Amino acid sequence: MLAIVDYQMGNIHSLGNALAFLGCEARVSRDPEVLLAADKLILPGVGAFDAAMRNLREFGLVDVLDEAVRRRGTPVLGVCVGMQIMASRGTENGFSEGLGWIDGAVEVITPTVIGTRVPHVGFNEVRFAAGNNDVVGDFAKPTDFYFVHSYHMVCSDPADRVGAVSYGGQELTAMVRRDNVLGVQFHPEKSQSNGLKLLGAFLRC
Amino acid sequence: MLKKRLIFTLLYCDGGYVLSRNFRLQTVGDLAWLRENYDFDAIAQSIDELVVLDVSRGERDTAAFAEHLKELSASYFLPIAAGGGLRSLEDGYRLLAANADKLVVNSPIIDNPALVRTLAQTFGSQSVVASVDCRKTEAGYRVFIHNGETDSGLDVAAAVSRATELGVGEIYLTAIDKDGTGFGYDGELAVQAAAATRLPIILSGGVGRYQHFCDGLAIEGISGASTANIYNFIVGGLSRARTHIAARDIPMAAWDFNLAALRGTANKEST
Amino acid sequence: MSDNLMTYCSSCAMPSTRPRITYHEDGICNACLWAREKKSIIDWDVRWKELEGYAEQLRRKGPGFDVIVPVSGGKDSCYVAYRMKHDLGLNPLLVHIEPPLPFELGNRNLDKLIAAGYDCIKVAPNPSVMRRIARREMIDFGDPLLCWMIPVRAVLFRIAIQFGIRWIMWGEDGEVEYGGLSHSKHNPIHDREYELRYLLSGNDPRKYLDEFTEDQLGFWLLPSQEEYENAGIVNMHMNYFDAWDPYRNYMVAKEKFGLEEKKGRNIGTYTNFAQTDSAMFDLHCYLMYLKFGFGRCTADACIDVRRGALDREQAVELIRKYDNAYPEPFIDLYLDYMQMTREEFEAALDKHANKRLFHKVDGRWAPLFEVR
Repeated sequence: MLAIVDYQMGNIHSLGNALAFLGCEARVSRDPEVLLAADKLILPGVGAFDAAMRNLREFGLVDVLDEAVRRRGTPVLGVCVGMQIMASRGTENGFSEGLGWIDGAVEVITPTVIGTRVPHVGFNEVRFAAGNNDVVGDFAKPTDFYFVHSYHMVCSDPADRVGAVSYGGQELTAMVRRDNVLGVQFHPEKSQSNGLKLLGAFLRC
Repeated sequence: MLKKRLIFTLLYCDGGYVLSRNFRLQTVGDLAWLRENYDFDAIAQSIDELVVLDVSRGERDTAAFAEHLKELSASYFLPIAAGGGLRSLEDGYRLLAANADKLVVNSPIIDNPALVRTLAQTFGSQSVVASVDCRKTEAGYRVFIHNGETDSGLDVAAAVSRATELGVGEIYLTAIDKDGTGFGYDGELAVQAAAATRLPIILSGGVGRYQHFCDGLAIEGISGASTANIYNFIVGGLSRARTHIAARDIPMAAWDFNLAALRGTANKEST
Repeated sequence: MSDNLMTYCSSCAMPSTRPRITYHEDGICNACLWAREKKSIIDWDVRWKELEGYAEQLRRKGPGFDVIVPVSGGKDSCYVAYRMKHDLGLNPLLVHIEPPLPFELGNRNLDKLIAAGYDCIKVAPNPSVMRRIARREMIDFGDPLLCWMIPVRAVLFRIAIQFGIRWIMWGEDGEVEYGGLSHSKHNPIHDREYELRYLLSGNDPRKYLDEFTEDQLGFWLLPSQEEYENAGIVNMHMNYFDAWDPYRNYMVAKEKFGLEEKKGRNIGTYTNFAQTDSAMFDLHCYLMYLKFGFGRCTADACIDVRRGALDREQAVELIRKYDNAYPEPFIDLYLDYMQMTREEFEAALDKHANKRLFHKVDGRWAPLFEVR
């Protein structure tokens, strides 16, 4: 059973629709029992880093997720802010602590190319590092995914960054992976067939 | 590199869709009409984003609009921006729960800035789009609100700056004089707005034929090109528009138009 | 489906079946060629100066009206009236001939135009004669709207003679703008003979004398050529002086007079702002479609293509969708107006449908051709 973590951070219906389209009936829940019993988790999220962590804490989910992901090794996919809060810390609306599953910080995008518009909105090409064929084997070439964000994750260990996207003269983190933790900055559920392929691969791996 | 966006805007009015010409509305048809007259499954895979705006002239029924949006969008996997007549945070929750990713606000930028700020703080800047409607006057481009009827007293630069300060993440810029005419976008308006903000700008108002999208996207600072011309792009017009744009060295995202083939593949072994 | 039943202009999508249309190099029709010339070789400043010259020459010397402008209250007549009055400073006399089966909307638009400060003569030609001519031409010629198209000319000429106003300014000559003869593109004047032979397709109202008296046909019979010449009538079309653009006219009419559109699209097309004054126009378009294989949507879409607002392939999609439109909502109106049974009505359609282009499917004419 796959569970989508419901912590009132944005558009979980679209993710549910995408999974349903692929043939996976996900449970949308914040019930610790459900989340601990799930064999896969998706941590969605639209909004700000600090608000996301606040909600997780309010629903008492930080320890539950730690238990599922860190101790039990449940595979998890974080999407957008759901991916960002996997980092050690964030700086949106002041400093806040993240889940700390990936060493690094989430910082505002500071383009070096003059005239670059922020937020980074639209489809952009993601280049994936070698060795993640279970998830991105469908994409031999750089592939377009839909981004909409003003902050990005800076990984302390470059090995954790397994997907990158160029924007405003910078290489932004598009996908992170460490052990059973997978996160994407883009929205696979909003990236047409490219996104569904990635979600499908996550469901199968 | 970041790709340019081809955007389709559906104008919703009292349960159906309309065509707008200079903000005067022509009744077109309902969702059944849309499915009958558009190859919408293909169209939804030919655009980068869908915008759905409630332009009903009387009291707006956001709950009904949200239901409609849900029905329209359930099996499409692209970003959706929705708005028109948003009056409260609750309206925002309602639309986001109906598959919208972004909320579009227009009049509140002028007459209810607190709401815009609250929406941006609650859902994040990237989830709020400021729709700015402009009319060319002797004093330059002026911004109008309330379906283009009320002069806001601001010029385009001032309105765009205000929206930026309120924390929105994108500008959806419409030239009322060009709306529905097929004359093409108002390029000068686009240039003025782009100079006034660092936010991404979506151009709207004036597209008639394919080349107009290219003309708009060629303007410095323009991220997306939208049309709401529901008749001109009937059946497969937007698919062909995408091909036309991509063939002219404008960077467009690519994906396989094979959504249907992916249906139900969650448990199949990868080949 | 046969491939070569119709040939089409390579630039717009007007077919070769349009009466008098001509094709030029690259297979473009005379209307598209003219649309290009309008943007390139025609010096519109020179032509406007020419119009000012005519205005000097033809305007009244004493009190009275300078020019007659025929008006329906629609976008084109609003435009011409506005320019005559405001840009040339003339005193125009608007003349309106009530169409058969008028729409409330058409009347409202006409009233708005007049209310903006114009003098107008509204003429209602004998309705019982009009009905009978509509019925007769529905059967004989396949176009009931002749019942109105004829008095439009006859009444204007009569008023010109009666009021001693020599000058008449029409909107566009459709032959030049939409396909047909090109005579008038380099000549602002089109005479009585041209109106009769081409714009009325040779339908001389004198033929009705077998059924009606001369008195009954007072608003149908054209003044004789001699009367016309003696009165010194100068019959002009505005599209010679001005780069004619129906959409621009619509925007001007909307802005200056508050022209209203229909709520939804008109039957047989996708627009809502043209020809909204008479239900008979819908039948006129349907019969045009059955006779020539192109309908109201072709006409509208080709205008949009020529003004650069639509690509040809978009136009083709629209035409395939909307051209073939049986005017179902108005059938009872037509039957009542023309005093016909449904069978007589259908028989008239059958008579005029082009059997080379159409065949009957489930009781309705369906095209054998495919627009491409």
